[in-house]
Amino acid sequence: MLAPNDPYATNSSLIRQAPSAAYLFGTDNLGRCVLSRVLVGARTTIASTFFLVAVSFLIGIIIGMLCGFYGGIVDDILMRVADLMLAFPQMVVAIAVAGILGGGLGGAMIALGITMWTSFARLARSHTLSIKNEPYITAARLQGKSGLQIMMTHIMPNILEPVLINALTQIGTTMIGISGLSFLGLGVVAPQAEWGSMISEARAYIQIAPWAVLFPAAATVITIVVFNYLGDAVMEYRKAE
Amino acid sequence: MIVLSGRDLNKEYISRDRKVRPLQHVDFDLHQGEILGIVGESGSGKSTLLKVISGIEKPDSGMLYHLDKEYTGSKPEKTGKFLQMIFQDAYGSFDPKMNMEKSLKEGTASDRNEIVRVIGEVGLSEDLLDRRPRHLSGGQCQRMSIARALLSHADVLLCDEITSALDVTTQAQVIKLLMEIRDMENVSIILVSHDLALVSMICDRIMVMKDGVVVEEGKTEDVINKPSDEYTRKLLNSIIAV
Ligand SMILES: Nc1ncnc2c1ncn2[C@@H]1O[C@H](COP(=O)(O)OP(=O)(O)OP(=O)(O)O)[C@@H](O)[C@H]1O
Ligand SMILES: [Mg+2]
Repeated sequence: MLAPNDPYATNSSLIRQAPSAAYLFGTDNLGRCVLSRVLVGARTTIASTFFLVAVSFLIGIIIGMLCGFYGGIVDDILMRVADLMLAFPQMVVAIAVAGILGGGLGGAMIALGITMWTSFARLARSHTLSIKNEPYITAARLQGKSGLQIMMTHIMPNILEPVLINALTQIGTTMIGISGLSFLGLGVVAPQAEWGSMISEARAYIQIAPWAVLFPAAATVITIVVFNYLGDAVMEYRKAE
Repeated sequence: MIVLSGRDLNKEYISRDRKVRPLQHVDFDLHQGEILGIVGESGSGKSTLLKVISGIEKPDSGMLYHLDKEYTGSKPEKTGKFLQMIFQDAYGSFDPKMNMEKSLKEGTASDRNEIVRVIGEVGLSEDLLDRRPRHLSGGQCQRMSIARALLSHADVLLCDEITSALDVTTQAQVIKLLMEIRDMENVSIILVSHDLALVSMICDRIMVMKDGVVVEEGKTEDVINKPSDEYTRKLLNSIIAV
């Protein structure tokens, strides 16, 4: 919609054009408008990042609350699994899983999500532990509320904020993850526009048409910095309060 | 008539390989409409006893009865129908994210009119219902928790050091309120406190605990005037000395 040109239209007479008025970011190896592809790619990268963080957040917070509130053997097992996940670098696990799943955006998201929920679960669990013995939880039990009701009405609203802030700070890393997997050919595949896969495609001819790498790379870096800064700012603001 | 009673209650904790026995063969009876005081120094098992009575903790052995019906092992979800707790931490007794009306409505079918009537009874005005706990004073919060207990139609109130976080004037007001509702609503109250002076002033009977054992139990005058136990005498002397 915002894109000035069709991001998928190839044009053999416009191959690797330097940035100009018609093509602000130049064109790539197939004569496609780099600006249009960066803009459309933003949608893929940002939307899939948000979706992935949101799903991991939901799964993580639910598991974390259940573990923290009920404790016991289920807690032990789930937290050992989480420890195991945290023992490996996230990207290593993601590459292995994405490799097994054979690429594609869905595969990349599953591969990253497999480890991402653990940080939300741990955080939600520790906050649940710290409030579950508060008198208002006991009071709610004495009012006849079940464990599930207490988790939804009292625990969730009270632990939401810190876990949500953590989610915000994870957006940058997740974006690197998705772009990184796509760069390695394990995420979004050509011809769909995505920053990581654009960089990967264009780096073969970086000396001839550096703009085809430079602009998606700059877009990635700027977006990550912005989201990290936003996360930190919110965290600082919360601390100051 | 006896509303609530416990027989041969035992509770043991193991913390860092050390055994703690905060309840050892504890018996108690709470009569209809009375205020029973439980005193004893820190760590003597007073709070543990209330946790066991309310079902927050399970006794290792022993029996609990409400109106002659055994309820040993019942969870707070069940015991809440006949008993409610008032906590030391008045602010912590309410969900910080919820306003008072929501908190009070949680365990009762009463409508707003009824809620307004009850908070009037505990000396609070309707406009406080829209506030969250941190926008109330400690005393107002404590009155709110008493209102919540009354709204649930429990006939027993378990109070654990409910005035120790309040200033002296507010303490006196909350205690006065407790005595008033005992008369008006005909509830029975267990009042845990380390403040022997307070307990001797408002309680009908007193139970003295030491290291998980009930060392003395009786009518307030009897316990105060002719304590039979050495430990009670020491406790009494310590307040007279102060
Ligand atoms: N969950 C627990 N795990 C291990 N030990 C516990 C636990 N709860 C209480 N205790 C121990 O049981 C003993 C009695 O504790 P309790 O809280 O009943 O004392 P208390 O009489 O209420 O004291 P205070 O006047 O300080 O409130 C203490 O030694 C305490 O450390
Ligand atoms: Mg105590």
